[in-house]
Amino acid sequence: MAEFLRISKLTKHFRGLVANEDVDFTLGSGDVRCIIGPNGAGKTTFISMISGHVVPTSGRIAFKGRDITPMSVPGRARLGIGRKFQTPSVFDNLTVAENIELASIGKHAEGADRRARMGEVLQLTRLEAFASKPALTLSHGQRQWLEIGMLLANRAELLLLDEPTAGMSAEETHATAALIKTLAAEFGIAIVIIEHDINFIRDLGAPVTVLHLGRVLMEGDFAAVSENDDVRNVYLGGEWEC
Amino acid sequence: MTHETVFHAILSLAIQGTLITFVYALAALGLAVVFGLIGVINMAHGAMITLGAYFTWACLSAGLPFGLAVLVAVAGVGLVGLIVEHALIRHFYDKPFETLLLTWGLFLILTELIKIAFGSDIRTIPTPLPSAIAFLGFHIPEYEALVALLSAALLGAIGLVFYKTSYGIKIRALTQNREVAGLLGLNVAATYKIVFVAGAMLAGLAGALMSPILSIDPTIGNIYLVRSFFVVIVGGIGQLLGGTLAGSFLIGGSQTIFGAFSSQVIAQTIVFALAIVVLRFRPTGVFKEK
Amino acid sequence: MSNTRPVPPMPRISLRSESAAAIVVFAVLALLPLMMGGYVIYVLPQYLIYGVLAMSLGMLWGYAGILSFGQAAFFALGAYAMGLAMKAGFGAGDGYLGLLAAIVVGAGLAFLVGYFLFSAGVRDIYFVLITLALSIMVQQIAISQSSLTGGFNGMYIPRMDLALGPLGRVSLAHDRAIYYLVLPVTVAIYAGLRRLTRSDFGKVLVGIRENEGRTLSLGFDTSWYKTIAFTISGAVACFAGALYGAHAEFVSPSLASVAFSTEVVIWVAIGGRQSLLGALLGGLGVAALSNYLDGLSPVFWQLILGGIFVAVIIAFKGGIAGALGRLVARKDDAHG
Ligand SMILES: Nc1ncnc2c1ncn2[C@@H]1O[C@H](COP(=O)(O)OP(=O)(O)OP(=O)(O)O)[C@@H](O)[C@H]1O
Ligand SMILES: [Mg+2]
Repeated sequence: MAEFLRISKLTKHFRGLVANEDVDFTLGSGDVRCIIGPNGAGKTTFISMISGHVVPTSGRIAFKGRDITPMSVPGRARLGIGRKFQTPSVFDNLTVAENIELASIGKHAEGADRRARMGEVLQLTRLEAFASKPALTLSHGQRQWLEIGMLLANRAELLLLDEPTAGMSAEETHATAALIKTLAAEFGIAIVIIEHDINFIRDLGAPVTVLHLGRVLMEGDFAAVSENDDVRNVYLGGEWEC
Repeated sequence: MTHETVFHAILSLAIQGTLITFVYALAALGLAVVFGLIGVINMAHGAMITLGAYFTWACLSAGLPFGLAVLVAVAGVGLVGLIVEHALIRHFYDKPFETLLLTWGLFLILTELIKIAFGSDIRTIPTPLPSAIAFLGFHIPEYEALVALLSAALLGAIGLVFYKTSYGIKIRALTQNREVAGLLGLNVAATYKIVFVAGAMLAGLAGALMSPILSIDPTIGNIYLVRSFFVVIVGGIGQLLGGTLAGSFLIGGSQTIFGAFSSQVIAQTIVFALAIVVLRFRPTGVFKEK
Repeated sequence: MSNTRPVPPMPRISLRSESAAAIVVFAVLALLPLMMGGYVIYVLPQYLIYGVLAMSLGMLWGYAGILSFGQAAFFALGAYAMGLAMKAGFGAGDGYLGLLAAIVVGAGLAFLVGYFLFSAGVRDIYFVLITLALSIMVQQIAISQSSLTGGFNGMYIPRMDLALGPLGRVSLAHDRAIYYLVLPVTVAIYAGLRRLTRSDFGKVLVGIRENEGRTLSLGFDTSWYKTIAFTISGAVACFAGALYGAHAEFVSPSLASVAFSTEVVIWVAIGGRQSLLGALLGGLGVAALSNYLDGLSPVFWQLILGGIFVAVIIAFKGGIAGALGRLVARKDDAHG
């Protein structure tokens, strides 16, 4: 069977600046993967190429056995690729419920089916009590969850999460890790997460891909990566002291 | 047709095209400055041109000489710009859509004030330089030639300010990045004010200098708003001088050429349609992402 | 995942009170000709038609966030379409031909222009100025093609009859007769546009207005949605223009002028962009008031109107309907 997500030799140059170079990457359905790397390593660029927001210089992206490299952003979203942005992008002036509903249009018919799905999503993202509040009034962490909730309502099969725990308390971060594990284990959703928070990554226990200067420095489980000398050098003196 | 008549016709078009290019550049300059430097599309630009023409007419009626009338018109429109900027626009710089609607409201109010103050009758101003220059068998109206020259000189002067003086260079830095400009010691609020008022004064100057060529009525500036906008877009926003000149040349030049084969009205329509097509196919640098 | 509560449908107080208000307004309008006649009944259909024009913009601007300064271009095109159709000489069908032609022309032009521009990412102020240019172009074409349009002097349009097939023909020459044609058409367009704005399509338009990038990333081809919204708006505006031509029995190039295009924007801004009833009443009310006050003091009224417009932009983004809606919501909060 074809791989769920297979990326080969993906390269992106911004006017000579190498943001990604020859990145190979595969993911099975329901897999979780962390991407780490210092600032400017090319992590956001990498998932932007998967979601279609950045057009690669060269390389190929296959999703569910299909070459999606030339496909548009909305086309990929309809195929099941959901993207959460580094700064949360939600509909600020709409209520939480309206946000979720908008995301479910086209995936869930109006009426009981849609309302059931919305209820499910609100519960998963712990936003039930805020359903009729404008998204603007949510805390930063809740906005992150709302955005994830929208992707669930949108029936994404692959979630691309850019720093989902930024701005979250320790408790919220922990809950986010639990949510991600649930989504993968119970719903079979594949998830790629860009993260800096070392506790979160350990908590998650998922395999890690390290990007550095646009290239894959190494891939492996958390323990192997955190003990690797190259990786420690890249993060020299940073938060990677554990 | 003999070769000579063909040559004659082409030369005639070239002369007309040159004159119209500089007149359009003059009309568009205020809009280009305000749009290009502080990102405000001044929908009242057309009304400010009209106001400049009426101020000139009023001064001449009061017996002032033409040159002085032009100066008064520039100052008058500049003052209107200052009042408007201080009372309204400065509170909305970070909301482009609101400034668009506000300046449009201003357009309505200015147009009505003009009607109240000057009436709706068509006014004309006699050309200050009625004679024509004989050139290769053509008669080029002296006054229009003078306006073209003044327009070229103005472009040059603005170029000197922006590219040679340190204040001009800082203002251009402001376009790139507000914070950096603030760090360079630029008073951002004051600079915005100066730019907006300068744009108003340029509109006033355009109206004043064009007034002897136009039949002045309270809506005469409307068409210049759209024309100037297309000049700025086609030329490229932010390319203050080159862009304005290139845009004027393209818009004015095609207007002249189409005008030679059909009525001016049809030519105008074709030029607008072409400008829309150009606008669509030149999205890079033209459309700022939100 | 099984024992979660479904979300109850959102309580929409403002929508329900808008429905109530709409019923009252339309009931009063329906009864009016029974109580009075004369000038009011003669002129009201024209204001209703302006209200329809305002709704065409209200849907576009208020819901999709696309401001068009070119609604007058479509309106004028519709009136010319009616005028030309009445000259076509198909007898009883001429009026219908005019209405149909207006819908086709309005939708077709808006679709072409909309797709051409939206697919390239043209938006905001650029779209505003292009639509402004559009109305100038329509006006100039109307002026220059005088053999077809009558040029500056305009064109007289015989009023259409309502041909009902075997039931015969109803003359619309009487004020009450055309009133009772225009009113139900207005109600139908209001109801249709409201349904549209509350449908999934309408919700996606709101998404585009609020955050186009997010809407795109959720899988909606936003340029198509915008194109369709503009197409519907153009069709409605053009249809309204055809009705206007039939009612006024006259069309001239000033119908496509910048001034008239602007007036539509003012109606909608004052009435309230995010309420179709607000837009309708804005068109109806401001046009009626303009007509009345124009008689008293034309220039000063226009000046005041400009002032109101600026005030609305600064202070009441939602227009009158928005302000009322907030008032109702506050009351409900106090009671609830
Ligand atoms: N649109 C763009 N144009 C030009 N350069 C870009 C663009 N987007 C990213 N870059 C550059 O590409 C490189 C990689 O950026 P990217 O945002 O992918 O890094 P990142 O790993 O996500 O960093 P961070 O941890 O800070 O979010 C950086 O040097 C960045 O400046
Ligand atoms: Mg990043």
